[in-house]
Amino acid sequence: MKRKILAALLASTMVLSLVGCGGGSAETPAAPAADDGAAEEAPAADSGAAEEAPAADATAGGDETLTVWCWDPAFNLNAMYEAEKVYQKDHPNFKLNVVETPWDDIQTKLTTAATSGDLSTLPDIFLMQDNAFQKNVLAFPDVCMDLTGSGIDYSQFAAGKTAYSVIDGKNYGVPFDNGAVVACYRTDLLEQAGLTIDDFTDITFDQYLENGKKVLEATGKPLISMQAGECDLIMMMLQSAGASLFNEDGTANIVNNETLKIVMETYKGLKDAGVLTEVNSWDEYVGDFVSGNVAGTINGCWIMASIQTAEDQKGNWAITNMPSLVGASGATNYSNNGGSSWAVTTKCANPTLACDFLASTFAGSNELYDNILPSGALATWAPAGDSSAYGEPNEFFGGDAVSAKIVDFATKVPTNITGAYYYEARNAVATAITNYINGSDLATELQTAEQTVNFNMGQ
Amino acid sequence: MYLFLCIVSFISVFPLYWMVSAATNKSADVISGRLIPGGYFMENLNNLLAAQNIGRAFGNSFKYAAILTIASLLVSSLAGYGFEIFHDKGKDLLMSIILLAMMVPFVATMIPLFQMCSKAGWLNTTIGFILPTISTPFLIMMFRQSARSFPHDIMEAARIDGLSEIRIFFQMFIPTMRSTYAAAMTITFMNAWNSYLWPKVIMTDSASQTMPMVVANLTEGYVTDYGMLMLAVLICTLPTAVVFFCLQNAFAEGITGAVK
Repeated sequence: MKRKILAALLASTMVLSLVGCGGGSAETPAAPAADDGAAEEAPAADSGAAEEAPAADATAGGDETLTVWCWDPAFNLNAMYEAEKVYQKDHPNFKLNVVETPWDDIQTKLTTAATSGDLSTLPDIFLMQDNAFQKNVLAFPDVCMDLTGSGIDYSQFAAGKTAYSVIDGKNYGVPFDNGAVVACYRTDLLEQAGLTIDDFTDITFDQYLENGKKVLEATGKPLISMQAGECDLIMMMLQSAGASLFNEDGTANIVNNETLKIVMETYKGLKDAGVLTEVNSWDEYVGDFVSGNVAGTINGCWIMASIQTAEDQKGNWAITNMPSLVGASGATNYSNNGGSSWAVTTKCANPTLACDFLASTFAGSNELYDNILPSGALATWAPAGDSSAYGEPNEFFGGDAVSAKIVDFATKVPTNITGAYYYEARNAVATAITNYINGSDLATELQTAEQTVNFNMGQ
Repeated sequence: MYLFLCIVSFISVFPLYWMVSAATNKSADVISGRLIPGGYFMENLNNLLAAQNIGRAFGNSFKYAAILTIASLLVSSLAGYGFEIFHDKGKDLLMSIILLAMMVPFVATMIPLFQMCSKAGWLNTTIGFILPTISTPFLIMMFRQSARSFPHDIMEAARIDGLSEIRIFFQMFIPTMRSTYAAAMTITFMNAWNSYLWPKVIMTDSASQTMPMVVANLTEGYVTDYGMLMLAVLICTLPTAVVFFCLQNAFAEGITGAVK
């Protein structure tokens, strides 16, 4: 009997110690942590202390502070800080609390908050990958605010870019960085084959293949490398002709997609001729053009930041538009890969402020876009391209005014439909292209891909 | 035989060597596969300090991990001790329920836990970090197993000398089971230091971020500086390595069996 009492006593000590430890530690060490945050992060987040746990109510009551989540210090965080400065000129009390959060983490937090029905943990504004935009708005309709008619002039953005954040005719995002596709070439290597950058401008993939063979013969180097098992180039080629993996009604469009067939055949043609080589990882892909194993690459314009890390190749690079598909209706020399847009959450306590902030910065300030240009953040807001900063020559790319060129490319990108199952469809097509290159039948592979996507969609 | 062992140990040590050497090279060299150490260590360090608040993240991680380790050792060992030493009808049933809880993956309980923490106002706090893992079935089981080898003679002698049960635990059990505690401490500290998913969900403020979160921040963006990234990984690995090497002998003892 005595032992039983003791057992009960020990058990209750266990529970007590649990509560005791927890309670004590929450009160003492957590508080200084928040203070540290305020002291150390002087410019950005002295609101760290003020906006602690119940962040939900912090923005209410005349407080002009907005919390923002985004992920790249050199790039989009920097852009937000610059936007804060621009907006503060007219709104001296305005303040941003920018929290650096990787995209994958934003997705996890978004899912957790939306699934648990507790949106209070979300920020006021966050950055979303364009490819994930439609999926998130469709899956969690309560999270993002409808920005149609909020004073943001969407007509000044590139249509192909805005389309990523439009669902059922409503605008849910403010376009941010440019993902317009550029074709980059090593002019010194092209020269060895007797070619110039003009031989690669406004061309078709047939001409690209012919030029590629010449370069391969003269230098022994392929024109481009791509990551095996990924289908970035496939998707870029597809969008360049305005085609998508989905129909307007959301059903998969793979088996009867004539453009997709042309894309697959073109890709295999490049691979078979040795003009395109496949590597196993992203690091190898970057390593290939940085160390001169290939004569160029085709990707979203953000790839230029990686190219420019090869300082010894300064002046030997040039950019132009991508080749167009042969035989596809609506084929152009322009496409898009990557990029992101700002979204406002429904939890935002001061939506008028958030919308006005975005409308007068990312959707209305030449000054902002000029200030963030050195960090490589290119606008999709058309008026920005006219400013003098965008016309300045870039010595790395042979003194070309690359920024203005890319903004011009962006305005010509055809729109496409990403839908809720974009990533699933991409994966299915990536499998199909790998098998097709290895010799299996195209029609069968496309059939399998469509079945996989339909299975994922639960149809 | 030795050749085989040499190859296997080379394979397991090489990534560590590569991490250290990459931390002293610049990003372009890391990508092009340079294996020998370079002279960019200081530059990487300066870049890292400029890009991220490493000191704060390190302090946060250390604080969370240390508090969790102490609290968790106390709670779990007390539970394990209680389970083994005292007898009760429901004891085994309760133990099975606890062990059953070990089978439930964390992601399944994450959302309800998040809701609880959010309602209680524990987001961005130490208590939010430690509560879900303060008592783990694994540790309770480990302490129960080692309490089995705790000599009953000592306990009887102590009781005769008039020591209260709680003092027997603190003055007899804990000192005797030092190596088990060391092993448990190593495991708990490592898990706490490396935990990523849970802090990622509840730490929404930049002032509360932990080291693994900062390392994850470095891989985002259009350009990754691999030299800087490897340096951050190196810094992030150090504390667990130090804890492990300090407690290495005790760890091996604690895992194999405690009382001599």
